[in-house]
Amino acid sequence: MRTGDYKQTYGELVALVDSPPVWLWSAVLVLALVVAPYVLNAYALSFLIIILITMVGALGLNILTGYTGLISLGHVGFLLTGAYGYAVLVSKYQLPPLVGFLGAGIVPALASLIVGAPSLRLKGLYLAITTLAFSFIINTVILEARWLTNGARGIAVPRPEILGLSFESDAAFTYLCLATAILTLFATLNIRRSRVGRAFVAIRDNDTAARVMGINLHAYKLLAFVTSAFITGIAGALYGIYLSFVNVEGFPFLLSIEALAILIVGGLGSALGAVLGTVLIVLLPEATRLVFSLFSAQMDAMFTTGAQELKSMLYGLVIILFLRFQPRGLVGVWHDLKRTWVNWPLRY
Amino acid sequence: MQYFVQLLISGLAIGAIYGLIAMGFAVIYKSTGLVNFAQGEMTMIVAYIAWTVSTTVSGNIFVVSLAAILAAVVLGLVIERVVMRPMLGEPVFATVMVTIGLAVILRSSINFIWDAYPHGLDVGVGRGIVRVGGIGVRTGQIAVITTLLLLLAAIWAFFRYSKTGVAMRAVAADDRTALLMGISATKVHALAWAASSVIAGIGGVFFALSYDLSPAMFQLGLKAFPATILGGLDAVIGSGVGGLLIGLTENLAGGYISSGMKEVAGFAMIIVVLMIRPFGLFGERDIERV
Repeated sequence: MRTGDYKQTYGELVALVDSPPVWLWSAVLVLALVVAPYVLNAYALSFLIIILITMVGALGLNILTGYTGLISLGHVGFLLTGAYGYAVLVSKYQLPPLVGFLGAGIVPALASLIVGAPSLRLKGLYLAITTLAFSFIINTVILEARWLTNGARGIAVPRPEILGLSFESDAAFTYLCLATAILTLFATLNIRRSRVGRAFVAIRDNDTAARVMGINLHAYKLLAFVTSAFITGIAGALYGIYLSFVNVEGFPFLLSIEALAILIVGGLGSALGAVLGTVLIVLLPEATRLVFSLFSAQMDAMFTTGAQELKSMLYGLVIILFLRFQPRGLVGVWHDLKRTWVNWPLRY
Repeated sequence: MQYFVQLLISGLAIGAIYGLIAMGFAVIYKSTGLVNFAQGEMTMIVAYIAWTVSTTVSGNIFVVSLAAILAAVVLGLVIERVVMRPMLGEPVFATVMVTIGLAVILRSSINFIWDAYPHGLDVGVGRGIVRVGGIGVRTGQIAVITTLLLLLAAIWAFFRYSKTGVAMRAVAADDRTALLMGISATKVHALAWAASSVIAGIGGVFFALSYDLSPAMFQLGLKAFPATILGGLDAVIGSGVGGLLIGLTENLAGGYISSGMKEVAGFAMIIVVLMIRPFGLFGERDIERV
């Protein structure tokens, strides 16, 4: 009888997945997602696109908050700089979209160097404060730098054409987002398995101990911050393309909170958690609206008038309730379910 | 020269409001070791309650201020009891995230309880203008600066002489030893949340007196943040002084450089402060023992 999940070699500890069926199920999921654009209607497809884009951003923040244990309240700033990096390069200077995506990663990475270098020297919550400040400063900077960013008027962004393939249609754009999301997922999973990822986690768990083991705290924290900003910037570029228009209004502060809610709901420090959290958080406002509209049309009307406020309230509530009652997030629920399934009828 | 003095006075007045809210941050940090990201939202709620009282019950200044203080005490106690106390003993990361969640909830509740339009808080005083040597000063501006100075003195005396104040300092310095001495940490935390809510709420009411109430008022909390970083997160008096400095800097930058700089000046200052004196002007340097 199987009594537990034992790891007997170092190789098993750093394996990408711990049992072969996971590969099978993942392949089935990817296949389903590939078919999805032809089955779903336009409304459902828009949710799929949003989920995939949000997933890229959440995985980016997960490197910083989940792996390294640093809070950033200003990741919307990196989404914004990423979107502008792409829009300026592609729409304004007519460079190819692939260069645009590279720029969408590099511009936020540079911004994160400027913010991170002074604030990561310090312990504790200072990064939360400086990133919060950054997300407000960057709005002012973008509005003032009219020669580059058109100020408040924003920049229109067309759907890209990469290597002769056009991503004009929604279905094709979904594939672009899907490919990016899968790439990001593998990238973050592999970062976690590497020496660098282990250093991040060591810093999160006990920074003094990590330092004693020879981890350069400042360098690794900065690396986590820059990597996270790079990935978030790519998500920003995709979001900008999806909106087909980039301006400051399109990236409200709420997105920063949404990203943190995703990580907490999913389970901090786990890529699977970021994926599960994204699906739940993106669908949560819609699901709540559906439930309420069953009761009365008045509730439904309230959702359309105060959509933004209700959304933020839901996020806030979800953050508090999960931290209070299920701090390990959905991943924790999933692990408990698996254990109960395997050991039933015994407790453990 | 007159322009400069005018900027100076309005800077001190807005700085005094930042200072009050910053003291709210510092009171909670000092006794619980938490940065309360919902401070600006609490300030806003208290100001809105004061406005409701002034329009429904009575516009009398004493009634309104008494109601505001009572409301602030209740708000602080309820938040501490319902939201924060269950998180006692959890990691700082989780508790801070809870205050962020709380901030978002309070912020959007404004639109449901009240509405999204700006309102003026009118209690009959505060908008009059006194002329001092050719320079016009609003009475509300004089009142807020005086209140800040009085509160600074009162809080200094409270922490220095009163038994409760000493107990709060003891919990901040070493909560386990404080527990052994028979000090109830939960009582100290409840007191800190109530006090912080009142001090910041006073700032909010003064802001509503001189400017307007609106759902964007929570940004006062963001503006007061630099003040408490500058003064030192664990320095209550220092945060009050920090508020005055931030208000001055912001107004001078806005008056002489550009209006965009006014919004950014405080945040730019945080980054400079964190590079040079991360524990603030008056804060204690954190020494860690392994």
